[in-house]
Formats: sequence, structure tokens, C-alpha cells
Amino acid sequence: MAERLWTAMQQQRWIWAALGVLMLWIALTALTARFSLHSLSGVAVSASFLLMPALGQMLVITTGRGNIDLSIPSVVTFSAYVTVVTAGSGPHGLWLPLGLVALASVGVGLFNAFLLLVLRIPAMIATLATGYVLATATLLVNARVGIFQRPPLLTYLATGRVGDLPVMLLIAFLVAILVGWLVSRAAYGKHLSAIGQNIVAARYAGVPVARSIAIAFTTSSLLAGFTGMLLAGYAGGAFLEMGTPYLLQSVGAVVLGGTLIAGGSASVLGTFFGAFLLVLVVTTMQIAGMPAGTQDILQGLIIICVLSVAGGRIRHRAT
Amino acid sequence: MLATLQGIAKSYGDTRANKDVDLAIDRGEIVGLVGANGAGKSTLMRVLCGVTEPDAGAMTFDDAAIDFSGFSPQSARERGIRIVWQELSLSPNLTVAENFYVEQPQFARTTPFWLANYRRLASEAIDRIFPGAHIPTDRLLADMTIVQRQMVEIARAACDPALKLLILDEPTSSLGAERSQQLRSFVRDIAAAGISVIYISHKLSEVLSVSDRVIAMRNGAIAWEKSAADACVDDLVNAMGGAGAGHGRIPSHEAVGAAAQGPVRVTISGSWLSGGCADPVELRAGEIVGLAGLEGSGQKELLQALFGTRRSDGLERQETVRYVSGDRQVEGVFPLWAVQDNVLIGRVAGWAGWRSVRTAAHMSDIEEAAGRLALDHERLHSNILDLSGGNQQKAIVARALLDDAGIILLDDPTRGVDIAAKRDFYRVVREMAEGGRLVIWLSTEDLEFLECDRVLVLSDGRIAAQLSGEAISEEAIVTTSFAGQEAASGTGTARDRSRVLSALLKAIPFISLVLVFGAMSYQNPLVASSFGLQLLLTPAVTLVLVALAQMFIVGGSEIDLGVGFFCGLVNVVSATVLVTSPGLGLGVLAALVAAYALMGLVIQARAIPAIVVTLGASFIWAGLGQTIQPSPGGSSPDWLRAIFSIKVPGIPTPLLIVALAGMAAFAIDRSPTGTILRAFGSNALALRRAGWSQNRYAMLRYTIACGFAMTAGLYVTASNGASDINAGSSYTLLAIAAVVIGGCQLLGGVIAPLGVVAGAITLALIGALLASIGVSTDYNAAVQGALLIFILALQALAGWRNARG
Repeated sequence: MAERLWTAMQQQRWIWAALGVLMLWIALTALTARFSLHSLSGVAVSASFLLMPALGQMLVITTGRGNIDLSIPSVVTFSAYVTVVTAGSGPHGLWLPLGLVALASVGVGLFNAFLLLVLRIPAMIATLATGYVLATATLLVNARVGIFQRPPLLTYLATGRVGDLPVMLLIAFLVAILVGWLVSRAAYGKHLSAIGQNIVAARYAGVPVARSIAIAFTTSSLLAGFTGMLLAGYAGGAFLEMGTPYLLQSVGAVVLGGTLIAGGSASVLGTFFGAFLLVLVVTTMQIAGMPAGTQDILQGLIIICVLSVAGGRIRHRAT
Repeated sequence: MLATLQGIAKSYGDTRANKDVDLAIDRGEIVGLVGANGAGKSTLMRVLCGVTEPDAGAMTFDDAAIDFSGFSPQSARERGIRIVWQELSLSPNLTVAENFYVEQPQFARTTPFWLANYRRLASEAIDRIFPGAHIPTDRLLADMTIVQRQMVEIARAACDPALKLLILDEPTSSLGAERSQQLRSFVRDIAAAGISVIYISHKLSEVLSVSDRVIAMRNGAIAWEKSAADACVDDLVNAMGGAGAGHGRIPSHEAVGAAAQGPVRVTISGSWLSGGCADPVELRAGEIVGLAGLEGSGQKELLQALFGTRRSDGLERQETVRYVSGDRQVEGVFPLWAVQDNVLIGRVAGWAGWRSVRTAAHMSDIEEAAGRLALDHERLHSNILDLSGGNQQKAIVARALLDDAGIILLDDPTRGVDIAAKRDFYRVVREMAEGGRLVIWLSTEDLEFLECDRVLVLSDGRIAAQLSGEAISEEAIVTTSFAGQEAASGTGTARDRSRVLSALLKAIPFISLVLVFGAMSYQNPLVASSFGLQLLLTPAVTLVLVALAQMFIVGGSEIDLGVGFFCGLVNVVSATVLVTSPGLGLGVLAALVAAYALMGLVIQARAIPAIVVTLGASFIWAGLGQTIQPSPGGSSPDWLRAIFSIKVPGIPTPLLIVALAGMAAFAIDRSPTGTILRAFGSNALALRRAGWSQNRYAMLRYTIACGFAMTAGLYVTASNGASDINAGSSYTLLAIAAVVIGGCQLLGGVIAPLGVVAGAITLALIGALLASIGVSTDYNAAVQGALLIFILALQALAGWRNARG
């Protein structure tokens, strides 16, 4: 019995993140009076904002060979700025920024894919360079920032509630379910997993390799773009460092959730719990009154430690 | 007896690779070892040369008992055991001489000209075995043909003066008849001198002709053994796994007749044809068409071209294709999946992404396909890696059977497959053709062409001859394969072009440095003065140092995303703790070096992508810096400032530091240690097997990088007299850009210290140049990012990304 449980926990790696969430939550509730159901909903909203880019990062990481999307923070910030500059306060004020953000994100995703697939530049360098170009674009938009006319619909989506549940949480749920279905039930998930395990074999098996990878990068940018937009709605504005936390945390949520860093195996449930766990950890550190420096150190340590324990190798039998 | 093995047993999971193997080898004896793949030969050899520790058993060598727990590849080599691996284990990014160093490090002396010894050693060793081979010892292995590489590989192992036992695992797989003959006479020569040899080959007649004694393995045990003089090829075939392997099938005439009627599926014309065949070659449904020729004559290229596009230069195909590769690990299996999913992907691959997939619904089809290959249904739920090589191959063939494709492309599908599986396989191929498909079959085993209706013999990338029906015979194939060879002249033009582009790319950092510097001097002549240089180069020094740190990491095909913040952290520590309490400060800096080495170890030992670890580490560095010093400030220790303001008359100090750093990096790269670091960047497995510790060199690599990054941080302190944790953050991307512009390859293994120095200075000057012509600093990041992309695109054009392997 114990052995079977152990095997299950090794195969269903999301269980670890879920356990982490549970334990941390219990500890927080027991130890601090300040941590109430109300602050849990704060955690849920933060986790929802993290979950969307993390799911995109998960798709990119699953394509394997060390692929990673480092342009996520720049896309988040850029989209937030685009939203702030172009939104109108009327009932239709959301459509222009929505269209622009979607267009820009798809453009960034396709450009990343182009660098990777056509010019064969490693994903990390390609997305890093894209991010820097985008940072300049953000600086240019920043020069034109006026008063943010927040569209009511955006305000509702980012800060509203349905009953007790934040709308943002529902949005994140919906996205997670959609991505989850795509990854574990649809042909695209098979394609992605095959590519991540063995890209040469995937090509010979007839998998549309380039298209699948391009979709992963585009989805990642698109989710980051929408996150930036909603974040602008939530914060009521944009600032230059807005996307920065999402660099480490999007990778962190994916890694904590048990998605293989080597690619080939994605877990949406894991990323879901991973995002929650990471946000809980950050919240705990804030409640404990840790300085920002210490919080950074701990986040970095957690991710390295989890990775060291999980290991990055796809199982290969020696012959 | 030179070596004895007793009761050797080794299991991998359920598979017993070796069970109770006894083997004794006399001094000066040549033992031929044969067996189907998976028979346990390779495992036994790995035990013998210290790569694999057996579960049970004993070994003696040279009259001394061997303790397996302490028996490493290193200690095997020290005792005089050398092996030539089946898959070549050379480092393509090293020269021939450097490759000899990797295998025979004992001759290295600590002089700057240590490599000269190895040039001499290499050319002598190669000439001794393969007279007249004339292999230039300063050429990179990547620029050599497979034949040359195999000769280097053999000579490299055999040149050890302390050699006592030489193991040759498929040494002649790429060699022609003459070279193979030379090797065999060399083997007999060294055996006469008292050196023992184990000769493993699938070329059975070759084994019989060279060996004193022949041993056949089967299912992990020794099945048969005999003096070579008393054995014949049929004996060996029987001993290895049963009869029938050597006997060809004569295609029935009805089948050939029917094939000729089928619709045309593939038309080959144009540049694929040599002068000999003027008419386009038409391949029809129902045919089995073999692709023959010497290795590397264009068979694989033709198969790939057919798979790639429906219509390309000289090729036209009508139907959908399936591709079955015999290189299972690299081109076939999906290691995380069960067998059933490995089969099902053949159907699902072509589906639109949103279509729902339920494995259960396809189970009966999967079982049917597996059944046709005699693959046990029980095994469908196992992970594919739990199957033997032959069964893995069956799963990959089943993938192609799942749905009707008009054309099946087979790329040496029976490589390393046992004889029983081969027979199942031949039957299925015949069934496929009878079912109206066109089968195009590349094989490296000439006997298999007897299964074909028609054989296209390629030579120098063109179809030199066609054989069909009864004209197909081993002799005919061999004759026609070699026929075109004399006419074949060098195909160097394409390679020459990429070499020109490569040379250009290596010159880019220096050219652009001259251009940028020229532009700045033109704008302001003071720039070229000693004072101007001092002023301009001061900010460049940091970048040069950080870039050199990044370069060593990139040399191991990794990227350090934390190097900028690390530089900032060293800056903070040296401007605060080091000032107030020097002892503690030095302690902290030493701890940081240790942390870097540890990071290298974690990345290596746990196989985690460096990018994620260093990203995490960058937060640790930044957090530490912020904790030590929340806001910019501090001061520089006086002694530190004194060190970094050394003066040589006539040379501005920053220029001097840059030159020293560049020379240091160059010296490290060219040293024996640097050679091994480079070698690890491209072929780590081979290095491990040669007895080099990957963990140790990973730690060393990160320690060297840390040294440069730390010097950068100290320099910032000395020159600014203050610290700021964010001071270094912008250097991370800049350093990567400098490394790329400098001519290093991101895949690792190729680094260029002087180019990186020039590239880093150029990048630092570009910022100043943009500022001096009035471009807003907002654009700096974009310019740097765009420049990085541009250079990488040029490298891609030069084909650098494919240079590996």
C-alpha cells in the first residue's frame, strides 16, 4: 500500500504541490490570527494572476530542449501600458486595448517562434532579446502615459466578484480547464509531449513540429498579454517593474507543479497548485515581515531546491 | 592469463544483460566476440573497462584481483585496458591532436607548447596502423569524413605504450576493404608483441579471419566458443541465435510482375541521377525498393528529401509517407510513454490539435498492428524503454502500420535487432508491399537487399545503377557501389562557402571594434588619446570581465542568467563588509566562490537546466546584496584601488586590465584543462567514458567563471568607490551578446576569448557612440537586443547550429 502510494506520488507529481499548499495553509491558519478567509481570497487573486502566464510558460517548457519564455515579464508590462494608454472609460473602451494587446502578443509569440524555428536561435536567448526590444517599446509608450480611463468591464473582470468568488479566479479557472483539456485530452497535447520527449522522433512520426512549437510560444505571449491587461485593471495603472515578478514565478509555479523541466510532460493541475503554493509562500513571507531581499533569496532557494530534488533528466534506461 | 572474468552478472531492471559470464583471455590472444545486439557483449565490455559495475562476479587482470567498486575507466586505463567504442567517441570541436590528449593525458607536460607532443604522437600512431592515411593533426574532427574519424578513434586508443588489452567494438563499420585489411594486420602485429585484443564485429568473416578464438554470446551468456580455425560463418550464425539469417529470399516472379503494374508513387529525376541513367526513375506501388551504396553516398539524403516535401528538386511523390528509423534512441522512441502511446502517435500526429484523443478507442487497431509484428499484447502497457531493442523497433514499425500511408520509408530499420525480430520484420515488409504500398528501404546490410524487388545504388549523392529481380546480389551491389567512387571528386564547394562565412563571423568582433572606434575618433579626435582611452575603456572593463565569465559557461552549452547580479553582489560585499572587516569580507567572497562551484555541481549532477538554476540564483544574489546594503553607498578598500590602478608607462590602465584578462582567458582555454572543458561542451559521454569526471569539470567551469565575474565586481568597487546591487544587472544580456558577437557557439564547445574581449569592448563603445550622436538611452536595450538577434541570424546562415556531432 505504502509502496503504491509512493509510486502514485512519483507519477502524479502535482500531489506534492497540493500537499505543500495544504500544509502551508494549515500552518498559516494555526499560527497567525491575521490569516483569515479574507486573506485567502487575496492569495487566490494573486495566484490567478500568476496562473495565466505560468500556464503559458508550462506549454513552452514542455516543448523541451531547455525552451523557456523569458519575454513574459516584458509582455506583461508592455500590455499593461498599452491598456493604460489606449483604454476608454465608456462601455466599449476595452475593445481597442484588447485588440492591440492580442495583436502585439501574437506578434511577439510568432517572432519568438520565428527566431527559434527559422533562425535556430536558442529559445532563452531569443526570448531574452525580444524582451529587451519590448522593454524599449515600453519606455516609449511610458512617455505617453496620461490618465488611465479604466473601462468598467475591465474593472469588473479584474476586481469584481461573483458571490464570494473573485471574477479573476474564475477567469484563471476557465483558462486552466481549457489548457488542461488541450494538454491531456486533445491531439495537441500529444503533439507537444512527443516534441518535448524527442523532437527528431516527433518529426519522423509526422507531428507538425514547427506549428506546435509556434502555438506554444504564441499562447504563452497571449496569456502574458491578457495578464498584463487585467493587472492594469486591477492596479489601476501600470509601472515599469510590473511584469518582473512573473519571470521567476512563472518558471517557479511550473517547476513546483511537477512539470518536467526537460520537457515532454506537462501538468496543468500541478501548475495550478504550484502557482498557489508560490503565492502562499510569498504571502507568508510578507506576513512574517521579511524584507524584500530575504523574500527574493528564499524564492530562489526554493526553486533550486525543488529542481535539485526532482532532477531534470528524462528517464533513460542504460542498455 | 592476462584477464579473467568469473560469474559476471548485471541486470538493468528486469533485463538481465549479463548472467554468470566466464571469460579468460590469454596474453597475445585475439578473441573474436560475436552476438546479436542485446546479447550482452557491450555490457560485458563496459564491465571490463570500468564503465559499468557488475552486480556480481570477480575479475583479475595482469595477475591482480580487481575490486569492482574502485574500478573506474580511469583505473582500467592505468592498467593498460583501452577500448574503441562502437559509437565514435571523439570530440568534434577539438583537433586530432587534442583528441589524442583526451584519451592519453599522461604525456602532457606543463609548457605552453604541450600540444606539440600530441601532434607528433597522433601522426605517428595513425601512420603506424593506416599507412598513407595522411590525416592533418591540426584539423577539427568536425571537418573530417567518417572514415578519417574512425581511423583517428582506433589510433588514439591503440597508441598507449602501456597497452595490454585492446577492445575494438565494431571498428570497421565505416572503413573500406583496404583500411579494414590494414587494421587487421595491425591487430595481428600487436598480438604477436604480446598485447591481447578483443575484436567485436557483425562482419563475421572478418572476425574469423583475424581471431585466434571466437566466442558467441546470446541472451547475456556465452553460448558457444571455438578456435577460429575450426569455425565457419554458418557456425557463428547458428550460435548467435538461430538459422536462416544468411539465406536470402528470391523474390517471386508474380510479385515483381504485379509491382510493375502499380501506379507510380515516386519519380526521381534531375540532379539525383548520374550520367548512367538518363530516364527518370519511377517507383511504383507494391514494390520494395532498396537504397544501397557505401555509407554516406547520399542514401539518407534521398530518404530525407522524400520525407520532407512532396515535390522538390528532382523528386515527386504522390502519396502520404511514413518514416521508420533504426536509430531508435535518437529518432524513434518517446521515452516517457507506454508502448501503446508510442504506436498511437503515428495516427494522432496528423490530426488537428483540438481533436479529442482517447487511447482506449484505438486499442484494437494498436493491438492488430502489434500482432502483425508478433509483438506481445501484454507489453503494450509497459513503458517503451522496458522493452528490448528489437521490441522497441517493432513498436516503431507498428506506428507506421497504424494507418494506410502510400509510401513507407525505412531507414536501416533492423540496426541492432536480433535475428528472430528481423525475420518478423522482413515478412511485414513483404506484406506491406503486397498491400499496395511502396516501400523504400535504406539498409547498411547488403544481404537485406535480397528482400527487395529493385535496388537503387547510390554513389556520390546520385543514383549510379539500378538492379532488379535476379540481378540483385551482394557482389553486384558491392561492385556498383564502388564503381562510381573513382569518378567522385570533392564536394567541397558548399563547405567552402560556409567556411568563408565562418571566418567572417570570427572576424566580426574585430572589424566592428575598429569601425566603432574609428567612428568615435572621427567624431572626436580626443578619443584616441591616452586620456580618452582611459575614460572610454573604464566602463568596458567590467563588461569584458563579465563576458569572459559568461563565455566559459557558454562553452559548456549553458547560460548564466545570474552573472550580472553576482557581479553586483561582489561589488556590494567588497564595498561594505570588506572595508569594515577585511577578514569577514574575504570569507564571504570565498563562500561565494564555493557557492558558484556548488551551483555548477547541482546543475551537472541533477541534470537541471542551468538557465533555471542561475535564474533562481540571480534572485539569491540580488536578495543578498539588498540585505547587506539596502541602498547604494559604501567605499572601496584602498588596497583594492591600488591593485586596479597598476600602471605600465604608455598604456592606459583599463587597456592593460582588458589585455591581461583576455590573455588569462586565452591561456586557460588553450591549456590542457581548457581543452577538456571544451571537450565536455560537445561530447560529454565520450569524456566520461575516457575517465574524466564531469562533476569535477562542471565545478571547475563555474569556478573559473566565478573568478572572472568576481574580478569584475571588485573592479566596479575600485573604480566607482561605491556599490549598488543593481549596478551589474544590465551586464547579463550584454555579456551574452558579447559572447555571441565574439564568435562563440551557444551550443557549447567553441569559445573565442579574444573575440569576446573585442565584442565586449565594441558593445560598451556602442552605448557611448549612441549617446554621443544624441540617441536616447531608451533605445540602448533595443539596439543591443537587435544586434544579438542579427549576429545569431548570421551564424545560423553559416550553418553553425548544425556543426555539432
